Amino acid sequence: MDVLDTLKKQWQEREQQFPKLSYDDIYSMLLKKSSSVVKWIFIISVCELLFWILISFVVPDSSREFNEQMGLKTAFTIIGVINYIIFAFFLFIFYKNYRSIKVTATVKQLMESILKTRKTVNYFVYYNVISTALLFIAINIYYFLHKEELTKFLSKSYEGYGSIPQDKATMVFFGAQIIVGAVFIGLLILFYYVVYGFLLRRLKRNYRELKKIEV
Amino acid sequence: MDKKLEHSFVTQLEENQNIVHKICRLYTNDADAHNDLFQEITIQLWKAFPKFRGDSKFSTWMYRVALNTAITLYRKSKRRVQTQDFEGVSFKIKAEAYDDTVEQQLKLMYSAVKDLNDIDKALVFLYLEDKNYREISETLGITEVNARVKMNRIKEKLRKILNP
Repeated sequence: MDVLDTLKKQWQEREQQFPKLSYDDIYSMLLKKSSSVVKWIFIISVCELLFWILISFVVPDSSREFNEQMGLKTAFTIIGVINYIIFAFFLFIFYKNYRSIKVTATVKQLMESILKTRKTVNYFVYYNVISTALLFIAINIYYFLHKEELTKFLSKSYEGYGSIPQDKATMVFFGAQIIVGAVFIGLLILFYYVVYGFLLRRLKRNYRELKKIEV
Repeated sequence: MDKKLEHSFVTQLEENQNIVHKICRLYTNDADAHNDLFQEITIQLWKAFPKFRGDSKFSTWMYRVALNTAITLYRKSKRRVQTQDFEGVSFKIKAEAYDDTVEQQLKLMYSAVKDLNDIDKALVFLYLEDKNYREISETLGITEVNARVKMNRIKEKLRKILNP
């Protein structure tokens, strides 16, 4: 007999050993696609929080001293604490979204969870971008109103700063601040657009697929 | 309504899951890849399920969608490593009735089948599942004559591998 036919005979006779999946195992597979995306949203937001905390440790002393001299120390501490509280709040919601999507029972509920997750992620991104921009503007207005102290500090720390005419120095300082700030916020938006945008688009695609099933 | 649809789908897939497992085993080389492909096939089946009208048997329809998924997924991931890991695929041949050479031949044949390209493999798989040429041609969307010709070529190819 041909070897292929022997193989065929074996193939049919022999009970091949496979993992036996239960009804629930298979059912959960239908939903897993979205849960993994939501899991990534949670993981990335945790990493982001860790990143910002880490950054706050490596802020150079000169910058800390500068803010202390400008009388912003308490303000920064308060803003930092509020920011972390809001961040933690979002983390909690992301985690809740992840849990709820994982244990969702019907397609309809899953669709609702996806919409909710998308909404929270959008709020999270808006909050981060707008709060960064507002903080930046507020600080610079504060600097502007306290120009004298600023000049005093800068000429003390950086030799030669005092010799530059006051008007010109102010212009250069705020010009540099605006450019750096704009670049920073631009990068932040780019980061959110790339990372969360990618995940949100996947969620949206899942949502559309689910909708097709639903109709 | 959707609850009922889901229930009917999952129940039928549960009953026929061995078909998917067999395809996964032929197209992948380790447990992780096996599970990935299984999940992918499940999702594709579920997406196509509303279009399944029941004019063919559920299992026949499953063969078609599952093989299509395995083939397209296989094509997409070119980085998939092609190793022949016999213990890994756990194709355990009961060899009590045969002498060693037959067992060796079978193992070699199985390895040759796994080494075929994705479409040829689908054909051999359906052949092993004891499908006739009409069923094979319907499942793969080719003509019956074409299926026959292809199968003969594959048999020839396999024979050459076994008896170089």
